[in-house]
Amino acid sequence: MLFGRNKKNPIKIADKGIVEWKYTTCGYCSTGCSIEVGINDEGQAVSSRGVGSADVNRGKLCIKGIFEHELFKTEGRGKKPLVRNSTIEAYQETEWDTALDGMAEKIKTIQEKHGRDAFAIVSTGQILTEEFYTLGKLTRGAIGTNNYDGNTTLCMASAVSGYKRSFGSDGPPGCYEDFEKTDCLIAFGSNLPEQHPVIYWRLKEAMEKRKFPLIVVDPRVTMLAQFADMHLAINPGTDVVLLNSLAHVIIDENLADMDYIEKNTNGMEEFTAIVEDYDPVSAAKICGIDEDTIRHVARLYAKAGQAMSIWTMGINQSTHGSDGVVGINNLNLITGNIGKEGGTSLSITGQSNAMGTREWSSCSGLPGYRVLENADHRQEIADYWGIDPEFLPKQRGLAQTDIFPAIETGQIKGLWLVATNPMTSMPNTARIRKTLEKLDFLVIQDAYEDVETVQYAHMYLPAAIWAEKDGCFTNTERRVNRVTNVARPYADSKPDLWIFSHLARRFENGKKMQFSDNAEDMFEEMKALSKGEERNLDISGMSYDKIEENRGLQWPCREGDEKGAQRLYSDGKFPHSDGKAKIIPLPFIDNNERPDAEYPFWLNSGRVVEHFHTRTRTGKIGNQNKFSPTPYMEMNPDSAAELGIEHQSYVRCVSRRGDAVVMVQLTQRIPRDMVFIPFHFHDCVNRLTLGLLDPYSRQPAFKQNAVRLELVDQKEAAQRNVEAREY
Amino acid sequence: MFQVRNDEPQYAFLNDESIKDTNCYGKPIQTVDDASELHGKTLNINLDSAVGENPNRYKQHGFHFTADNCIGCHACEAACSEKNDNPAHIAFRSVGYVEGGTYPDFKRLNISMACNHCDDPVCLKGCPTRAYTKFAEYGAVLQDPDICFGCGYCTWVCPYNAPQLDPVKGQVSKCNMCVDRLEVGLKPACVSACLGNALNFGVIENAPENREQAKLEIPGFPRTDITNPNIRFQQTHDMPNEMTRTDSMAVKYHKNIKSGVFEPVVDKKKGLKRNWNLNKLRSREDPLVIFTLVSQAVIGAFLFMFLGDLAGFEVVQAMVASPVYLPVIFIMLGLEGIALFLSTMHLGKPLRFYRAFNNLKYSPVSREVAGIAVFFNSLGVHFLASLVYSEMGGGLFVQQVAEFFAYIAALSGPVAIYFMHKIYRIEARPFWNHWQVLTAFYGNMLSLGSLITAVFFIPVFIYNGQPVIELVKLLAVTALLGLVVEAIGHYFHAKHLNVKGREGSVSYYEQVTTFGKTNLFRYALLLANILVVSVFVFITELNLLSAVVSIVLVLSVLISSIISRAMFYVMVVPTTMPGAFFWKNKGFEEHARETGLARTVQAGIIADVH
Repeated sequence: MLFGRNKKNPIKIADKGIVEWKYTTCGYCSTGCSIEVGINDEGQAVSSRGVGSADVNRGKLCIKGIFEHELFKTEGRGKKPLVRNSTIEAYQETEWDTALDGMAEKIKTIQEKHGRDAFAIVSTGQILTEEFYTLGKLTRGAIGTNNYDGNTTLCMASAVSGYKRSFGSDGPPGCYEDFEKTDCLIAFGSNLPEQHPVIYWRLKEAMEKRKFPLIVVDPRVTMLAQFADMHLAINPGTDVVLLNSLAHVIIDENLADMDYIEKNTNGMEEFTAIVEDYDPVSAAKICGIDEDTIRHVARLYAKAGQAMSIWTMGINQSTHGSDGVVGINNLNLITGNIGKEGGTSLSITGQSNAMGTREWSSCSGLPGYRVLENADHRQEIADYWGIDPEFLPKQRGLAQTDIFPAIETGQIKGLWLVATNPMTSMPNTARIRKTLEKLDFLVIQDAYEDVETVQYAHMYLPAAIWAEKDGCFTNTERRVNRVTNVARPYADSKPDLWIFSHLARRFENGKKMQFSDNAEDMFEEMKALSKGEERNLDISGMSYDKIEENRGLQWPCREGDEKGAQRLYSDGKFPHSDGKAKIIPLPFIDNNERPDAEYPFWLNSGRVVEHFHTRTRTGKIGNQNKFSPTPYMEMNPDSAAELGIEHQSYVRCVSRRGDAVVMVQLTQRIPRDMVFIPFHFHDCVNRLTLGLLDPYSRQPAFKQNAVRLELVDQKEAAQRNVEAREY
Repeated sequence: MFQVRNDEPQYAFLNDESIKDTNCYGKPIQTVDDASELHGKTLNINLDSAVGENPNRYKQHGFHFTADNCIGCHACEAACSEKNDNPAHIAFRSVGYVEGGTYPDFKRLNISMACNHCDDPVCLKGCPTRAYTKFAEYGAVLQDPDICFGCGYCTWVCPYNAPQLDPVKGQVSKCNMCVDRLEVGLKPACVSACLGNALNFGVIENAPENREQAKLEIPGFPRTDITNPNIRFQQTHDMPNEMTRTDSMAVKYHKNIKSGVFEPVVDKKKGLKRNWNLNKLRSREDPLVIFTLVSQAVIGAFLFMFLGDLAGFEVVQAMVASPVYLPVIFIMLGLEGIALFLSTMHLGKPLRFYRAFNNLKYSPVSREVAGIAVFFNSLGVHFLASLVYSEMGGGLFVQQVAEFFAYIAALSGPVAIYFMHKIYRIEARPFWNHWQVLTAFYGNMLSLGSLITAVFFIPVFIYNGQPVIELVKLLAVTALLGLVVEAIGHYFHAKHLNVKGREGSVSYYEQVTTFGKTNLFRYALLLANILVVSVFVFITELNLLSAVVSIVLVLSVLISSIISRAMFYVMVVPTTMPGAFFWKNKGFEEHARETGLARTVQAGIIADVH
């Protein structure tokens, strides 16, 4: 058996020489995995592993986390601040002081000439919570523009808006442990194995211990849909119809939890009147799910002891995004599944710190879920910051997706982008390019100087990345976790916190206010502002040490609490002024850009597991990028055969906005009237998207657009594809 | 020793409660008995002399893969590459998939595969340098890159594409079973990283907790009778009867309704159009095209002269006695020397060429190299001794030495060609695994051997005014025999491939589509050559026409041999795992090289492999 090889050579196995493991939290999606980064004796980060004792990931990491230590040495990092007077000139390197002086000067000039709101700020879901808080303080308190938002408008705005409408405040009420307690789970437009693989693992573990029905609503046969007990292959953009119809059956068959509804909610009557119109027979014709299935799912969900819903971009990125979220909340409210173990309405968030920006960045209001519209809130914050409350606007300004049109038509003259790349991430790239050209002053603050938007900028500020900094992230289940200083900032890049606090000193109000380069100082401010019995977002019981010890703490974690609370609203008390949740009627108006004779295909988009957002990071790590080094489009082989389109050939997709050349992958996982393109790639899917805005959340409908396909010269297409991106 | 963390999660620990005696192939799971001298020895990992305390250290271990659960998230591949510090273009573990059905009744089956640490490791047997060892510890088949000289033969023989040839480093490396983790009771890194609860590991034949099957087949996994791999599967969900591959390989898998097992059949992905694709005849194996053809020609030419002389053909005796004989032998030595040089440079680490002889016991590569070496050196000694004898008037001893080594060369040449053919008789490469390889090699030996003899001697004979018709006839008969043998081989080979199914018929499909026109062209050339050579068999006089025809014939035989041999290397379809759309997709790799997508390191494709 051993072939007579008795003499053995020593075995060599790669040894990275790790001398120390440093604790931090993953900086990609919002699952919130605890990571240990291995450091060798030269101080280089050489390895990553999941923290075994962390409740979130229990030792696991996805492909992105496994290679996260390689981020520190990725190509394209910014070394020095860059400036130029106009976009036709070449950039010049400069020192931080000169750059920040110039930046403050430009902002002031624009504001003096065109009004305070003529300078806009768009940030991200990627930086640390302390940085968000500080940027908010700088923006609201010192710069004083009301056109300030985060790129979370592209991903989580609908969830925020839906939570606010239903419950009176943002904040996902459930947690991952709910998988272990639930008796039925519906996933709406959420493909966990691809987008949140570690959350998928938690779900899988729960299902292996105790099987419960899994229902997946998704137009594609994703791996989750394939593994589901029932796959509801819904027509794009019709989730609200399905949700109304589920409610119709539950109410019609007296399966609603009337006791819970009576005690804890308002609006049931109006709701019942509207869902009357959504009987399964009528609904089936619109949403494409047959009436028997609708009834079956409704009964299953209502009769389950505890039932929960999760959702991601399939719901949020729609013109009915906010309504979709409210619809899911409605479903859970009428079945009494909020704040229960295993009964919840849990949005699965996108970015590592989308929650941090929602909580503390003041993007849509003031820190700690306070709103501008409330005079008490304005007073409270102005007092704490030491400024005149009249300096604060009395109403929220423009959302990200409204800021760009305001630049287009000249109301906004200057823009500061922090860790976001609208050239790739915003719908209708052609329009974004045209818009950015109109700016008198564009500042890009990003870890990468090769981020595409830099070509339209006048100033580039090199930021430190992820664990080159110190602070906190909040994850999908409201868990605050620590990001620690694993490596020192690359070259002359600076932590975003440093940039914010140093810019603040260059404004009049900023000189009066407290700004610190030390994250913990800012965390203490946040703690102070979070205190309050009626506040759910209470982090006053946390400290950096305690957070790390517990591998993350969920809020509310009040002063003196050992741990945070796992769920919100368990007591049936909601943040609406009357303490009750709202069951909101949702009439459906079909305003999707639907396929027609000229543009016969639905265009859908989404993530792949190996990439994150616009690939500025993952596109540079070979062991991730190799799994999709170039964009591709899933297409059904039957419709491809009709058009003479071959597997692994290029086609030209044309929409009413523009065109994109992309390689075709034929697969039956997608319906005949749809194509699917991952959104990560520059100059690709967003050249095509319309991005109609949700009326409540202002989030664009990335997933419901119409395109047609044309054959192209293969050589030219291949060349165009190669030239379209640098990495 | 590998460091176990204080908070190491329970799932990371090996967990074999009971162990069977024999595996499903009927072999003992215990690798060596307790009294064996192999017991209790250190694995000497990175020169650490500690001995692992794993209680199942001497049991064959293997992966268990629940295909029903794999989500294709790449965590296993990532964890493996992270631990082994592999660059993007190398992967010890890869995930591919097969899929079938019609929307929305669609199913994808992801397959994560690394080395199967086989009971009968063909890599170990095939490797000429003995870089492979099957350890008593865990039954792990480990490869030592420091011994490897980068010939890539293990990558040919392995049915699972486990050994990875790195064109940058010029050496092979592969899955090491994470034996460092096993020594401290931990499962391999890939298993611990799995996010679908699909991949597991333990003593072979044990189904992990919560699993009930430990079977040998799933759709897309190659046959297990070649190497008896140590991997077991669970796959209980029904799959559509036909599962296709997204990569460019023209294979799909069809369910045998009786047995329920999926078998590979041709997937006519590229239609039935016949093409030339002459540019695709070039490959990494170009040096081997030259090496095999030149070796066969040189051996053939020498045999012609040696046997013709021995058999008493006067015209051949005249050749051997002529003053041109030794210069011709010298030129032949030179040709063979160049061929050997090219084939050595084709190695990833040419300076380690001497290791080719390390595995005479098992490896046909070692035996072939040994055979060629004996032939080459014998011919060399024969040349030198003959030179000394004829030019410096050496004595009888010198003459006997020359003669003796002529015999050795005449004997070792055909033996070398036999082992050369054995190299390609690989079960995992059904296109090659046919006696046609032997007829092609010996056929070329005869045809090309006659050809170079003719090129060297006929002009000299004519120039000297010596009678040449007999020589022409004798050479024509020999060449005819060679060409006919080659043609018969082609006929039966094509018939065999067409009928036998599996990956062989996929090669046949490539032969009649991708290279359809080229294939017809070479057949036509071969037939034409046979006809024209037949005419020379009955020739009675030489004239200008026959001179022109013979020149055309020489070129035609040469071209047809080169095309045939190039096709031999590029048309082979191995029994490998299905790839994904980009990763492990040959079609995409070629495209990336052609278009420049491969120029970025992070594409994971080496831009130039030649």
